[in-house]
Amino acid sequence: MVKGWSDRYLTLYGLVMLAVVLGPPVAGALGGLARPADPVRLSAVLALLCAAFAGYLGLARKFGPMVVPAADAAWRLLSPLPRRLVLGRGALRLAIVGVLAGLVIGVALASVLGGGGEPLVRLGAALVIGVGLGLGGMALAVLGQSGPTWDGWLQAVIAAAVLAAVLVALFGAGPGRPLLAALTTAPAAVAGLVAAAGAVLVRQAWTALDKVPARAILASSTRAGTVAEATTMLDPAVLTWAAEDAHWRGRVLGTRRWPVRGAWVLAWQEIRRASRRPVFMGALAGATALPALAWRAELPVAAFALLLGGALTAAASMVAGARRDGGNPALLRLLGVGPGVARAVRALPPAVAGGVWLGVALAVLEASGASGGGLWALGVACGPALGAAALRMAGRRPIDHAMPVLDVGGPIPTGALMWALAGADLALLGCAPTLLALAAPEAVTGAGPWLATQVITGVVVLGGYLAARSFRAAWR
Amino acid sequence: MLRGVDLEVAAGQIVAVAGENGAGKSTLLRCLAGLADPAQGVIEVLAGAPVDAPEFWRQVAMLGDEPAWYPGVSVAEHLELMASVHGGGRMSAGAALEAFALGGRAAMHPLTLSTGQRQRLALAMTLLRPSRLLLLDEPERGLDSGFKTALAGLLSAYADEGGAVVMATHDLGLAAACGARVHTLEASW
Repeated sequence: MVKGWSDRYLTLYGLVMLAVVLGPPVAGALGGLARPADPVRLSAVLALLCAAFAGYLGLARKFGPMVVPAADAAWRLLSPLPRRLVLGRGALRLAIVGVLAGLVIGVALASVLGGGGEPLVRLGAALVIGVGLGLGGMALAVLGQSGPTWDGWLQAVIAAAVLAAVLVALFGAGPGRPLLAALTTAPAAVAGLVAAAGAVLVRQAWTALDKVPARAILASSTRAGTVAEATTMLDPAVLTWAAEDAHWRGRVLGTRRWPVRGAWVLAWQEIRRASRRPVFMGALAGATALPALAWRAELPVAAFALLLGGALTAAASMVAGARRDGGNPALLRLLGVGPGVARAVRALPPAVAGGVWLGVALAVLEASGASGGGLWALGVACGPALGAAALRMAGRRPIDHAMPVLDVGGPIPTGALMWALAGADLALLGCAPTLLALAAPEAVTGAGPWLATQVITGVVVLGGYLAARSFRAAWR
Repeated sequence: MLRGVDLEVAAGQIVAVAGENGAGKSTLLRCLAGLADPAQGVIEVLAGAPVDAPEFWRQVAMLGDEPAWYPGVSVAEHLELMASVHGGGRMSAGAALEAFALGGRAAMHPLTLSTGQRQRLALAMTLLRPSRLLLLDEPERGLDSGFKTALAGLLSAYADEGGAVVMATHDLGLAAACGARVHTLEASW
C-alpha cells in the first residue's frame, strides 16, 4: 500500500508531539552533564538503571522475545524456508526496541555523568553504553530462545544485574565510590567495552536465528497472541490469567494439609500460593528499596509513584483466588461459602501484604535520609485500604466499550479510564492521610493524629467497600 | 426456552435429563440452582429453601460445564480445601484420590492434567463434599468407559445415602448403569 500525504502528516505530527512531550525531561536530564557528579545521586540512578535493565531482560525473556504473526506461525515457520528469512522482520523490530530502550538508558545515564572533560564525549559515551546494553540485552534474550545454555547465561545476567543494583544501592555512595568515580572519569573506555560486547552478542544472535527451535518461537508467539488478543479485546485481565496459568501448568506443587478450617482456608490459599512463588516474592521484597533510590536520585514524583504502585502490586499479588471467583464463581458455589464472607476473608492477605510492603518501603525511605519519623507505622496502617483496592482490582470486568468517549483536547475513552482507575481510586482515597503526611514530612511522627486518621480512613474504606459489594449479587 | 417441564425428584433418586444439543438441559439445571429465573412456573428445591444463597449451596453441589481451579493449589489440596471448608467431607481426600484414580497426579496443578483427569477431579470435589442434591452437567464429558462404570457406582452410593441427583447427559449407558430415571427434553426449534 502506498503511503499518502495524510499518513506522512500523521507520522510527522506524532514525531513533533513526541519531541514536545519528551523534550523538557530529556533536556533536564542532559543538563546533568554540566554539573559536577554527585556520588549519592550517581549511585541511586545507577542502582535504578541496573534494576530496570534486569526488568527489561526479564520481560524480553518472558515474552519471547522473538515472535511471529499467527499466519507465519501456522505456515511459514514450519516450511522449508530458511528460518532467518521468516524471522528477519521480527529481528528488525526487536533491534528497534533495543535501540529505543538503550536510548532511554543512555539519557538517564547522561544525567548523572557530570564532572570533568568534554560534555559531548560524555553524552556520546552514555548513549553508546545505553544502546549497547539495550541491543546487546535483546540479542542475549534472542540467544536464550535458541537453547538452554544461552538461556542459562541470560538468567545469570539478570541475576548479576539485580545483584549489581543491590550492591550499588548499598555501597555506591560509600566504599564503592572510587569504582563509580572511574565510570565518570573514563566513560569512553566503558562505552567501548559495552559496544564491543553488544556487537558480539548481536552477531551471535543473527547467526543463531537459523537455529532457534520452532517450538520456542511457537510458544512465545502464542503468548504474544494472547497479549494481542487482550489488547484488541481490551480485556487486560486475560493477560493475568495467561501468565498465571502458564506459571502453574506442569508444576509439581506437593501436598500440604490446610492448617485452618472453614472459610479461613480461602485466606490461607493466598499465603500458600505466595510461598510457591519465591522469586516473585523476593523481587517484591527487594522492590521496597526502589522508592528510597528514586528519592536519593532526586526524583520525588517517581518515589511517590513507586510507593503507591509497589504497595498496590504487593496487595494485588494476594488476590488470585478472588480474581478466579470473579471470573468463574462455580468453585466458590461448590465450596458453599457466601460471596460476602469470602470477600471479607480474602481482604486479609492483600491488606497484610500491602501494609507490610508500604511499611518496609517507608522505613527504608526514612533510613536513607528522608525526613520524618515513624513513617513505617503509617504504611502499615494503609493495609486495609490497600486490601480493598486490590479486591476492587480483582473484581474488574472487561473494559466497557459502550461508555462515552470524552473530547478534552483529545479523545479519552471513559470505559478504559474507569477500568484503569478501579482500585487505584480506593488506594488513593484510603491512603490519603499517609500521602498528605509524605507531602509535608516535617510534620510527621509515628504516632499522633496522622496515624489515627490513617487507621480510621483505612478501616472505613475497607468496611465501606465490603458493605457496598454485599448489596450486589456476585454469585451468578 | 423450556416449556412443559414437570419434574419431581425425591431423596435417594437419580434423574437423568437427556435431549439433543440446545434442548435446554443445562438451562434446566441452572434454573434448579437458581442461576437462571424461569419466566413462568414454580421451582421448589429442598422444600423451598431460598435459592442461590450460602445455605442453599451448602446443601447443593453443582458441577457446571466449565470447572475452574485455584492458582498455586495442587490436585490433592483442591480436595483437602473442599473438605476443610465444609468441616469434613463424605470421604477423605486420600480416599477420593484413590476412587477417582488421581493418586499419581496428587502433587500436580490441575492444569497439568488431561481433559478427562480434570473432569475426574471436578467430580471428586463435587462428590467429596457433603450435600443433599447433586446437579451434574454432562458428568461423562471426557471420561473413559472404565471410569464411567466407576462413576455410576459412586452416584448409586450417593443416592443410597439419601442424596438426590439430577444430571444432564448424552450417555444413556451411564444413566442405566446407575439406575437413573430418564427424562428427555425435546427441542422445539
